[in-house]
Order: sequence, then C-alpha cells, then structure tokens
Amino acid sequence: MSFIIGIFICLGFVLVKNEEVFFEYPEYWPKPVYNFSKLSMTEEEFQLGRHLFYDPLLSRDHTISCASCHLQATGFTHVDHDLSHGIEGRIGTRNSISIMNLAWNTSFMWDGGVNHIEVQSLAPISSENEMDTSLAIIVEKLNKSEKYNSLFQKAYQDSLVTGQKILLALTQFVVMLNSYNSKYDKYIRNELGGKFTEQEKIGLKIFRNNCASCHKEPLFSSNDFKNNGLNVDSTLNDFGRMMVTKKPEDSLKFKVPTLRNIQFTQPFMHDGRFETLQEVINHYTSEVQHSPTLANELQEQIILTHKEKVDLLVFLRTLTDQKFLYNKRFSYPRETQTN
Amino acid sequence: MLKSKTIKTITSKKIKLVTLVLLLANSILFAQGNHLKIEINPFFKTKVLKKDSWYVSKNNDSLQFSKIKFYLTDFKILTKEGKTKQLPNSDFLVSIFNVESRSILLENISYKTGDQLLFNIGVNEKMNTSGALSGSLDPANGMYWSWQSGYINFKIEGKSPSCSTRKNKFQFHIGGYKKPFAATRFKSVTITNAINNVLIIDFDIAILFDSIDISNLNQVMIPGKEAIEIADILPNLFSLNE
Ligand code: HEC
Ligand code: HEC
Repeated sequence: MSFIIGIFICLGFVLVKNEEVFFEYPEYWPKPVYNFSKLSMTEEEFQLGRHLFYDPLLSRDHTISCASCHLQATGFTHVDHDLSHGIEGRIGTRNSISIMNLAWNTSFMWDGGVNHIEVQSLAPISSENEMDTSLAIIVEKLNKSEKYNSLFQKAYQDSLVTGQKILLALTQFVVMLNSYNSKYDKYIRNELGGKFTEQEKIGLKIFRNNCASCHKEPLFSSNDFKNNGLNVDSTLNDFGRMMVTKKPEDSLKFKVPTLRNIQFTQPFMHDGRFETLQEVINHYTSEVQHSPTLANELQEQIILTHKEKVDLLVFLRTLTDQKFLYNKRFSYPRETQTN
Repeated sequence: MLKSKTIKTITSKKIKLVTLVLLLANSILFAQGNHLKIEINPFFKTKVLKKDSWYVSKNNDSLQFSKIKFYLTDFKILTKEGKTKQLPNSDFLVSIFNVESRSILLENISYKTGDQLLFNIGVNEKMNTSGALSGSLDPANGMYWSWQSGYINFKIEGKSPSCSTRKNKFQFHIGGYKKPFAATRFKSVTITNAINNVLIIDFDIAILFDSIDISNLNQVMIPGKEAIEIADILPNLFSLNE
C-alpha cells in the first residue's frame, strides 16, 4: 500500500518541470575542474543564487551584499579601494579578487585557503570585517522570508532553507560568470571583431614571452602560487600561501590571478598596492624584489623599452569582455523581472 | 563561430525521483534488516557531566564546560572473519549537552557478537574537500572553518581559573585534514553483547584534562601541532560500557 502511495508521490515530482541551464565555454578550453553534480543546473536555482548574491540580508546589519565588493561592471571586484571595505566600513586585509571563470579554479582566495567553490561564500559571510554573520543566522532569516520561501520552493521543490542549499544556489550563480568573448578570444577564434592591430599583435608576443608562463592562456591565470617579487607591506605582514600550508617555502606566494578584464579591475595585487597597469608593468621590469622564494620565471630581469611597455598595455586591453561586463543576466535582479 | 560544450547534469526532478525510490527501497529492507543503537553517556571521571557545573581535574584545575560537540562518522562493521561492511551516510554530529544527539541509530546493519564496530572521530579528508554537504555535515551547524576550508572535528569550550585568558575561557576547535596535521582519529570497539541492539559508550572528558596543561594550552583554533596533540588523546575518551 505505502509503495503505491510512493509511486503517486514520485509522479507528482515528475510533473514539476524546471528550466535547465547549460554551462557553456569554448570547446578548445580545458575541461572545468568543478564537477557540477550537486547543482540542479536549473534557471530557478540560478535566479535564487542571483538574488542571494545581491541581497544585503546576508550581512549582520543588512548593509553589505556580495555585490558590494564584487561589482559586475568592474569584473566583479571592488574598485577604488586597495583593501575591501565591509560592514561598518571595517577594512579587510586583502583586495577583492575579480570573480570569473571560477569552474577552472582548484582553490580560492589569494592564498588558496578555500578548497572548493561551494564553501567559498562561508569566508565573507563569517568574516568580522566583511559580512560578520553566520550561515546559521542566514538560514534562520531566510526561513522567515516569504520571498525566499517561494524562491527555494521553485528551485528545490521544498521551501525549507538549509545551509547547503544557500551555498549551492550561490555557487550556481557565480559559476556561470564566465568571460570568453573579449577581442582576444575573437582573435583566437578568427571571429568578427577579432582583428588585431599590429600593435596588439606585438603586445601579445611580448606577453607570451614574459607573462604567459604564469598567466596562462586561455584563462590568463593558473592554479599555482608564486612569489612575483612584491616587497612585504609591513603594516599587513601577509605571507600568503605560507599561512595556509605553514611551509616556509610558500612564504610570499600568492595565487596567479586572471588578467581577463584587467582594464577595469584596479587596484591590483592582493593588497591593491598598484593603481594603474603602468605601475604593474614597471614593477615587473624594474622593481622585482629578490628573495628566497622568488619565482624562477622572474629571476632574470624583464627588459622592455617604453614602446614595448605601451604595446603590452594595449594588448592587455584586448582582454576586456564587454558582453560579460554588461550581461543583464548577471546584474541586479529587479523585482519586475520574471525570469 | 563559437562552439560551446555543455555540461549535462541530472535535473532536480530526477534527483527527487531517485531519492524517493531509494527511500522506499530502504524502508522495505529495513523491516528485514537489523539495527544498532549507540548511546553516549558523558562523565567527568565518575560524575555525570553536566553543562556549567564545576569539576576538578587531576592537575587541580577547576573546570566548567559550556559546549562539547563532535563528529562521529564512517561507521563500519569488521566481522570476526575479517570482512568489513561500510554503512553509507553514517555521519553524526553529537552535542554532549543535547540528549537526543547523544543517541545514534545505525540502520540496516547486521552484526554478531564478537564483531567490531569501527568509526572515525571527526570527518575524513574526502568529506573535507567535497564542497557543501547536507544534514549533519551542513556548514550551518557551526562546525566548519571559513577562511581555511575544513570541518572542526571536535569543539570543547568552557572556563577555568587556571586559564589567564579573557573571562578564563578555554576553546579547543580541533580539526584539519591535510598531512601532517590531519586530526581525524579512528576508534574501534568490540561488540560483546549489545542487549536489545543497544551499545553504551562512556565518554569521559576528564581523560583529556588530566593529560594537558591548560594554563599553557587553552586556545586551539586552527589545524597544526597543538591540534594534533589533543586529537591523539581523543580516542581514549570513548570506552565501551558493558
Ligand atoms: C567586504 C568585501 C567582500 C564581500 C562582502 C564579499 N567578498 Fe568575495 N572576496 C573579497 C575579498 C577581499 C576576496 C579575496 C580574499 C582573500 O584572498 O583573502 C574575495 C574573494 C572571493 C572569491 C574568490 C575568487 C577566486 O578566484 O579565488 C569569490 C568566489 C567570492 N569572493 C565570492 C563572494 C560571494 C559569493 C560573496 C557573498 C556571499 C562575497 N564574495 C562577499 C571581498 C568580499
Ligand atoms: C612568476 C609568475 C608570474 C609572471 C611571470 C607574471 N606574473 Fe603577474 N602575477 C603573478 C602573481 C602571483 C600575481 C598576484 C601577486 C599578488 O597579488 O601578490 C600577479 C598579479 C598580476 C596582476 C594583478 C592582477 C590583479 O587582479 O590584481 C597583473 C595586472 C599582472 N600580474 C600582470 C602581469 C604581466 C603584464 C606580466 C608580464 C610582464 C606578469 N604579470 C608576469 C604571477 C606572475
């Protein structure tokens, strides 16, 4: 008898139809590292994640959302602040990282302290300098919200909010923030709008000779941790990767960040010490600090003429992906929007 | 032209269907299967352990406990013949001052007296690197670190005049899954009779506090050497009461 009732319940669920979303990326790219098995890959889960990403309800005093530090138009990072500001204006110890193409990361944060994209949000949520709350409190708040009960119901056929579902929905949103339509990408694919000028071509060559060993194409990042010769800021004493592994050989190593949309993601480096790309290039050509953990790739001085520096800069601008920066699907979810 | 690959995944409705079928299958099996109930009884030496009561250790430290929470996971039966039977999804969060959480029900297990019950104190490496999990492993349970991913296997909080910390508090958050600082520990007990399918396990917190100097070691909040020192003692806190 109970078995028959079971079958009816099953049929009930079969009737619920959610719209599937697809994770798209160019076929010549490497395979994503992230395995999507826990996500439902539905439009409903994506929209729930989008609401959560833009909702200050996720902070203790309802003032800060993920988007406060990760703005779409600037490649989902915090501009004009070297160290990201959080709740009550408290200043964190690091510059926010732009978030894009996250499915290819094996670890997260400048020091790789977070081991999986699904648990990444726990860091800002519970950091005193950022959102200063806990996942348990957010679960409680969302369970009291009619809007979220209905969004969770749509996404998971169950209105009950749990910590896991919040984390998965946020993942479903951020993992879709993929950038692969810059002028550089069109150049590689031989597409309309992808014709490089002579200067851009020279810039690409300079890049490949000096930078691509770490900022690897096509993602312009890598999952390695390297010391790129920045001197230690004695007010922060941030030793990067060593703080996670506790190994002296990891001292001053940081994640190699992506350079996609770099034109808009200033300030630069883990502590936001450089305001402009000119300063960054000057760092690599004349300010690299030698220390026991300095990367092999930077042992020998990079020598560039003034013109070559300009060419490199011009090339870096081809990594800007307007379609990504202005994609409405990734923007603030207005209540009137139904999808 | 941009060609794109798509990642095919099961849609949520299919997942629901699968779980339901599994649930139904489970309930049918359960009727024929066996089960084992584990009851954990907390002590400080011979005294029953209660929240916010005072106890004195062998080192003459007066101690009060406000929170003791830990994971027991990955239950297995090792038969006398040497066969191991894994119990899927046997992950439990025990909170010593919450009576219900101190009783653990293992369903669908068959065992004989003389077999061994094996489990982990804490969470294994795989679960530490599997992203957002549910149920007792949901990070909303407050047993998860944020800036450095990983579960807190064991939380002990309280106060003692021997600690010259703020409000005399001691806090032990023991965890870590990466070698050499992996803090998950293994425990085995032999099932001797298990009357009415119940196994009583005594948990004696005094064993830990008799063997550490809490005037020096009173705040452990990250994986590392100190966490390992404490993790090594934890299995001794559990013993079979028969
Ligand atoms: C107060 C500012 C602030 C808020 C609010 C904030 N972040 Fe961040 N985010 C940062 C900083 C700073 C980093 C880099 C931290 C580090 O490396 O230590 C970062 C890193 C990240 C990364 C890692 C990217 C990578 O490639 O490693 C992701 C993903 C991310 N944040 C998503 C989120 C989400 C989702 C939320 C909302 C739940 C959020 N952030 C809220 C400042 C913030
Ligand atoms: C040894 C590997 C390595 C090489 C070679 C290298 N980089 Fe980097 N790059 C890094 C690392 C690591 C960081 C992050 C450092 C930090 O914040 O502490 C970084 C950061 C950057 C940033 C800042 C990104 C951000 O989001 O803040 C820019 C821009 C940059 N590099 C450009 C270049 C250019 C241009 C070259 C070639 C001239 C180059 N890099 C060569 C490893 C490298």
